[in-house]
Parts: sequence; structure tokens; C-alpha cells
Amino acid sequence: MPERRRMGQCWGPCHRALPRRPYPLLAALAALVAAVLTPAAAWAHADLHPGGGFVAGFLHPISGLDHGVAMVAVGLWGAVLGPPALWLLPLAFPPVMALGGLLALLGVPLPGVEVGIALSGLVMGLMVLFELRPPLWFAALIVATFAVFHGHAHGAELPAGANALLYSLAFVIATGLLHLVGILLGEARRWPGGRALVRLAGAGVALVGVWFLERALV
Amino acid sequence: MSGSGPTATLWSPLGSLPLAHLVPTGLGPWGDGMARLLLQPLDLLLLVGLVLVAVQSGRRWSDRLGLVLPLSWLMGGLAGLGLGVDLPLEVPCTAIVTAVGVLVTLGPVLRLGELLDGRLLLTAATGLPLLFGLVAGSSLAGHVGALPALLGEAVAIAVVTALLLMVLAAPHPRWLALGLRVVGSWIAASGLLMLGWLSRHPL
Repeated sequence: MPERRRMGQCWGPCHRALPRRPYPLLAALAALVAAVLTPAAAWAHADLHPGGGFVAGFLHPISGLDHGVAMVAVGLWGAVLGPPALWLLPLAFPPVMALGGLLALLGVPLPGVEVGIALSGLVMGLMVLFELRPPLWFAALIVATFAVFHGHAHGAELPAGANALLYSLAFVIATGLLHLVGILLGEARRWPGGRALVRLAGAGVALVGVWFLERALV
Repeated sequence: MSGSGPTATLWSPLGSLPLAHLVPTGLGPWGDGMARLLLQPLDLLLLVGLVLVAVQSGRRWSDRLGLVLPLSWLMGGLAGLGLGVDLPLEVPCTAIVTAVGVLVTLGPVLRLGELLDGRLLLTAATGLPLLFGLVAGSSLAGHVGALPALLGEAVAIAVVTALLLMVLAAPHPRWLALGLRVVGSWIAASGLLMLGWLSRHPL
């Protein structure tokens, strides 16, 4: 453990003991996050990009607030939980999400998809806000459950274009990059005041979740 | 080049037939074939997956893979061109790519180095590209400029394989090992979505 701490990894409450390092990339990251959180449309899965292709697939997940914040929250929560959740959650999310998409494409119905997506933002935002650290299996179960909802919503709208594989690949890559944004943002916990920033981001995600939950229920 | 006959048909850069399986890049059939690797990325996903399996297995057969993979793909492609029939094997090929992605994702858990021996890996690195090349060749068969397009894609495969092997050659740091697994999960996820799409929109 001391060896790991020397290497600068954060394990639970040790973040206060870590050396304070400037984060020159953080400003650029913040701009990226802002860009992600400023969507062209509120709903990611409203089929704004008909037709296949890499660009359409890449833009699909990042152009919607409900999907985007949840993906960032997965990375944020992973950063709060620390290794191995830090990489396990983003590793597990895309295949499970694709499984949800597969179910949708096979015509298997899933009730309450929009509610589930909204809850994903709310729950994971609260987890980040209160820095909750459940057992790894439980965290993975929560993330996997929400991944199915996200995947189902997107799978149902996978366009009938000619280049579905390119679309799917770009879609998955964009989702993975959103996780990465969350992880990098979560690494700001090493920074002075970074912990508060991350918790604030969690609160923001939870608020967005509440907003979408209200829209889904009403 | 512009004469008649099957040879001219294969080599002609002035395609008059609609190239359903080639996106015109303006660089001729050779360039179209290279671009096909990126624009119809099933072959790309397979080769990336196989390279990652090889890297994860930690065996010293990367040099062989760099030669075997593009060559077997090319052999399959040439055979597919000779078939002259578009083989409807998208579903099994996508399922194979998905399985390779899952294998990469679970690599360290499965301990690939112990699970797969060198011969099995070499068989996979020969047989799978052969199959995928066969499918690619069969889809190009009948198109004007099919042979240069096939050669162009084979060269692109060789270059990408060599670059990946060079960059990812073991030993690599822990973060890169995790990154490889993430790429594997992306391949598996893309494959799953594609399988669903194929079930809804059969080609």
C-alpha cells in the first residue's frame, strides 16, 4: 500500500495525503465537459441523426443531456470508488449497454426505459455527491442495470442506414470517451478543492436526473 | 488496363458498375480498397481483436502474426473473388468479432497465455482472416477494379497490423493493459449492437 501511495494513486480517504499537483489539462477538460453538457437537444435518443456513419454514431450519445451526464457520472463514480472500480465500471458498461441495445433490436420490451435513464443520473449523481462506496459487486450491479436501460433506448433507434457497424462503433467509442471525461474529472480530487468540485459535479448530475425524471413521469 | 476481358475488368480503375461494397474515394480502386478497411470496419475489428489477443497472451509470435494475418486475409480474398458469389456470412463474422472482443475484455481473467497455446492462436490468426478475406473477396467479386481494391485493403491490413504490433508489443504498462481490455469491450459492444441490427435489418 505505501508503494502504491508513493505512485500517486488515491485509495479511499488518502486523497488529502497526496501531493498537490497542478492540472494544466483541467481547464481544457472543463471546457470539454461544458461542451458535452451543452447539448443541441435535450434527449439523446430522439433520433436526430438518421442514417448511418461514424459521425452520426459519435454525436448520438454526446448530443443528449440525459445520456451524456449519466456516462460522465459512471466515470466520476469510478474515480470516487478508486481502483479497481475506476476501470471496471467503464469496462463493463459498453458491453452491457450493447446487450440492452441487442434486446431492443430483437424486439424484447423493457418497461420504464425513460424513467430508468433518468434514475441513472439521479442515483449515480447522489453516489458521487455523497461519495458513497458500496461493495464493488453492488456498484457494478447498479451501473449494469442502468446500462441496460440506456442501451435499450439507443438500440431501439439504431438507424437502418447502410453502415450500422461504423455507427455502432462510433457510438460505443463516444460512450467510452464520456466515461473517460468523468474519470479525468474525478481525478481532480487530487487537486486543492477538487473534491468539492467533484461532489458539485455529482450534485449537478443528480439535478439533471431529477429534471428528466420529472419529464419522464409527467 | 482499359482493354476488355476479365483481367482488364479486375484491374480497370474506371469502374462503371455500381460499387455496392466500395465507397468511392477518388483515389481509384486501390484507395477505395484501403478506405474499405475503415469504412466497413468488420475486418479492422477482427485484426485489432486478434492483435490484442496475441499481445495479452504474452507469446513471442507477434512477428508471425504480422505476416500470417494479412497474407491469410489476402488468400481468402483472392479465393472469394474467384467464387463470384456474395457470401451471406455477415452474422457469423459479426459473432466471431464479438467473441474475440469478449476474449480480449476477459483476457487477464481467463489467463489467455495459459488457456491458448501457440498453435491454437496461430490457427485462429490464419483461419479467421482467411474466412473474413473470403467474405470480403466475394463481396467485391464482379466489381470493376476488384483486384486492386482487394490488394489495397490487404496492404492496409498489413500496415495496421504491423503498427499495432509495434506499439503494443509486450511488456507494456498496467494502464495500457487496461486500455487493451477497454478496446476489447468496445469491440464486443459494437459487435453485439451489429448483431441486433442484422437481426432487425437482414441484408
